[in-house]
Parts: sequence; C-alpha cells; structure tokens
Amino acid sequence: MNTVNFVTIPSSIVPDQEILVFGKRRLTYADLNDRVSRLSAVFKQQGLKPRDVVALLDTNSDLYIQCYYAAAKAGLTFLPLNYRAKDGELEYMINTADAKLLLIGDRYMDLIGRIKPKLKVSKFIAMGHASNAMPGIEDLITKAAPDESEAEVEDEDISILMYTSGTTSLPKGVMLRFRDFAAYVTANVEMADGTERGAALVCVPFYHIAGTTAYMTNIWTGRKLVVMGQFDAKAWLEIVPRERVTHAFVVPTMMKQLIDEPGFASADLSSLTNVAYGGAPMPVQVIRRAIEVFPPIVGFVNAYGQTETTSSLTVLGPDDHRLTGTPAEVELKLKRLNSIGKPLPDVEIRVRDEDGKFLPAGQVGEIIIRTARIMKGYAGREDDARLPDGWRATGDLGWLDDDGYIFFAGRKDDMIIRGGENIAPAEIETVLMSHPAVDECAVIGVPSVEWGQTVKAFVVRRQGQNVSEADLTEFCRSRLASFKRPESVQFIDALPKNPLGKILRKDLRAPSGGV
Amino acid sequence: MANVLGKRYMCEKCGTEVLCNKAGTGGLDCCDTEMKIKEAKPLPSSD
Repeated sequence: MNTVNFVTIPSSIVPDQEILVFGKRRLTYADLNDRVSRLSAVFKQQGLKPRDVVALLDTNSDLYIQCYYAAAKAGLTFLPLNYRAKDGELEYMINTADAKLLLIGDRYMDLIGRIKPKLKVSKFIAMGHASNAMPGIEDLITKAAPDESEAEVEDEDISILMYTSGTTSLPKGVMLRFRDFAAYVTANVEMADGTERGAALVCVPFYHIAGTTAYMTNIWTGRKLVVMGQFDAKAWLEIVPRERVTHAFVVPTMMKQLIDEPGFASADLSSLTNVAYGGAPMPVQVIRRAIEVFPPIVGFVNAYGQTETTSSLTVLGPDDHRLTGTPAEVELKLKRLNSIGKPLPDVEIRVRDEDGKFLPAGQVGEIIIRTARIMKGYAGREDDARLPDGWRATGDLGWLDDDGYIFFAGRKDDMIIRGGENIAPAEIETVLMSHPAVDECAVIGVPSVEWGQTVKAFVVRRQGQNVSEADLTEFCRSRLASFKRPESVQFIDALPKNPLGKILRKDLRAPSGGV
Repeated sequence: MANVLGKRYMCEKCGTEVLCNKAGTGGLDCCDTEMKIKEAKPLPSSD
C-alpha cells in the first residue's frame, strides 16, 4: 500500500473536513490532496524516479508533511534530516543516502552553503522563496499542474530513511518500508469517515519516528493535526485552548517544561483528554507532578518504541496513571509508573538472557520483540539485530512483572538519551580525543530531572598540558550538535579499565549516582 | 455481505489483506472463502 493513500482516500470521502493546521494556514483534505498532487508533479519535473531519495532539512510545518506525501505519491524515498545535526553529520547522511534532491528551510541556507562543495546531491529547492539561484517551492507548486497518478510501490520499497544515532560514531539509516507504515497505521487507528475524532497537537520533530507516525495516524483517522514548528511551552499552552486540542504527545523534557511554565496554572486545558509521552525514560517525579496538575480527565499514556520498529511497541495506559483505589492498589500503580506498560496488539515481547533463553518474570535481560513492522535493515550495513523466527533484539534491558508489565532497565550498550535524543558516547569521545591536550576520555550519561540524562565526560589530560572544562566544552560545541556537547567534564588521573584494557564505564557511573 | 468503506478484510487462509476505499454491494472472497473484517485496535495515545 502506498502511504499517500492516507491522504487520497480520506480526501475522496470527506474532502471538506479540516485536517491540517499550521499557524494561520488551515487545510482541508481536498486542499492537502491538491498540494500533494502538485508537489508530486514538481518532484517528477526535477527528474526524480521511483526509489530516488529526496532529503528535507527544516523544522516542522504543514509543507513538510506535504513533501513526505508527495514523495510517497511519486514512489520516492523520503529522508527527514535532523535539523540539530552539525555540518559533518549532515554531509554524511545526505551523501550516504545518495540523495538526489535536497529541500532546504530558510534558516539552514547558510549551513548548506558551507557544506555544498562536499555534497553529492545536485538539485536543491528552497522551502521558502527562491534564493541563491535556487527555486522556491511555493513558486514551483503554484506553477505545477496536479499529478493525480500514484506510483505503484512494492512491499520492500523504502518510504522513509530515518537516521538514528548508532552505537558507533556514525548515524545509522533505518530503512522503513511503505508496508511498515501501512501495518502500523491501519492496525492502530480507523480510517476517517466523518466521525468527530478531535484535534492532535504535534510538537516533536518530524525527523523522529514519533513525529512521523503522529502525522500519518492522525491524518488517516481524521483527527485535525495542529503542527508546531518547534516545541515552546508557552505557545503549547496557548494553542491547546485555541484549537480545542484533545490529544498531544510530548517527550519527558517537554512535559517538565510545560508544568514548570508560569502560565500553566491559568491555562485552559479543558479540551485535553489524552497526553502521551515517550522518546526517553520519564523521571517518575515529573509524571507524578503532571498527574497532579493536569485536569483529572486527562488520560496519560507512556509509549515505548524504536525507530527500527516503526514507533510504539508498548504502552502504559490511562488507567495505570490514575492513582486511585485502595492504598495497596495505589502503591502498585506508583510502582508501575516506572513501567513502559504492555505490548500493543500487534507486538510480542520477551526478555532473554545472553544465551538467548527466555527469562521468567522478575529477571533482567534484553528486551526482544516480534511484529510485522520491523525495519528492512540499516542502509549499507549488515548489523540489523535480527534474530531467528522473526524476533529482533532491541538493545534495551528490561524485566517483566507477574502481570506482564515491562520495566525498562537502560540500554544494553551505553547510549545516552538526553531529552529524547540518542547520543552515542563514542561520537563525543572521538571529538574529545582529537583535542591535543586530551590523553584519554570516556563519556557517560548522568541522571537529570530536566533531560532524563545529560552528557558527562571523564578526561585524562596529556602530561604537561593544561586544559579547562570550558575549553573542552567549547571545543565540542563547534564540532557536535548542541545536545551532544558534554555538560560537565571531570578530570581524573586514569580511567578504570579491566585487564583487557576496556574502560569500565560502570565504575565511572557509580560516583555520578547511577544511570 | 456488502463490503464496508475503510475496513480491512483478511483472508484467514493465505493472510491477504484488502482495504476497501469505495464500498459496494458485493462481497470479497479469497482462497474460495469469504474474507473477514479486521478491526483496528485503537491505540490509547496521541497516534
């Protein structure tokens, strides 16, 4: 199934229903379908053929969603780029994906100008108006005639190539097929048929799987999608009453910013019925406060998933967040607020030990999953964590309780998750090691109520060299995406190592309070 | 039995799934058997 059907079919049934809102722009299904058809014609005019890659670097907008569906309509693979990535990271993603066309938001023109000589991509379109001999997308859409034809896609064709931070220093391109999204969306929501389904506010970036599946499911099911360019707590609290938002998804960091926002207490959140969170472990003190301060009707949902599994695998539902009942029931619910819930209907979950043996309740092991929407693989790599019989190793540690609730116990490797962004320590260590005064270093995540985890570096100075914490953070700032920069640096005499010379990160974590 | 707009139909024998994007009075058969409606199980989140 071509995912553009998520627009074309509702458009043929309820063409006049308003479905997409961004700032002052409001689109019905018919409006959306018309722009997608024109944009698909634009992509074809650029010479793109099915399975070619079109990359997009910009913040969220209604136009961003149109670009995805137009790419799908033309049978193209869509590459949503992380707008927080730095020059070298973008260059790597764009070149290894072999992108044929790059769509660029206004604020990223200078960045692309800097790396353009190193890029293999030859076609560029500005997401705003024409600039630097680059055509502007609005001009092209206006001039194009709608192309109603729809590319026939095969089961194995890639719809989205989504780069996620890997355990090595290089990002990994997760190949998600049209059928992965079709399976996720049709299994979890009913098609739009004129039934009132409320309004959803999306503020997570579209280069994240949660942002992508949010626009796919809501547009398919007929829930008006209100798009924020980037998250801002004050603006979020203003949009909810204005658009009568019923559903929203936030990462834990956003949740904390919302409840800390001075205007929270006076904000009208009476339309809200459903607030989901995920992307990183939620500090229990934050969700407990949220339960207290949001209107009682709000049902909270903790969603756990991976890019590689086309979003959510498990959910902890609203009933588990209602801290009511007998003291024993409340105590059990409080414990379960640390849980990631139970698997969705199309997902099987087990916990296994190092030898691959399934573990009983209460024992920590690796979480493995089986579902019809596991990625095709990583672009250009063989290590896809596929196990026999359709299982996939998540790389996450966890355990089950007696009632089948799953508890997350950290990454099997040492990935740091800061505010929903995955950070591979090796990437930061590589940068630090390139500083002339650094002899050895190791990077870990330390607990943070604000971000879930933050980045801490342990550094052994080269003999006779004097370098400060500020010097090193500044050195990293100019070479890494801002969220990857170490927020603290501790100088030590030697790194703890095992007899084989491997760094013992657990020894470094212990004095930091554990992870 | 008439088919229903927006519903998925599944063949219990071969696993084929069909999505109805325009309803009619006919029925759907696969592997000489009537295809059954497969309901979505609503996700209790923003999705």
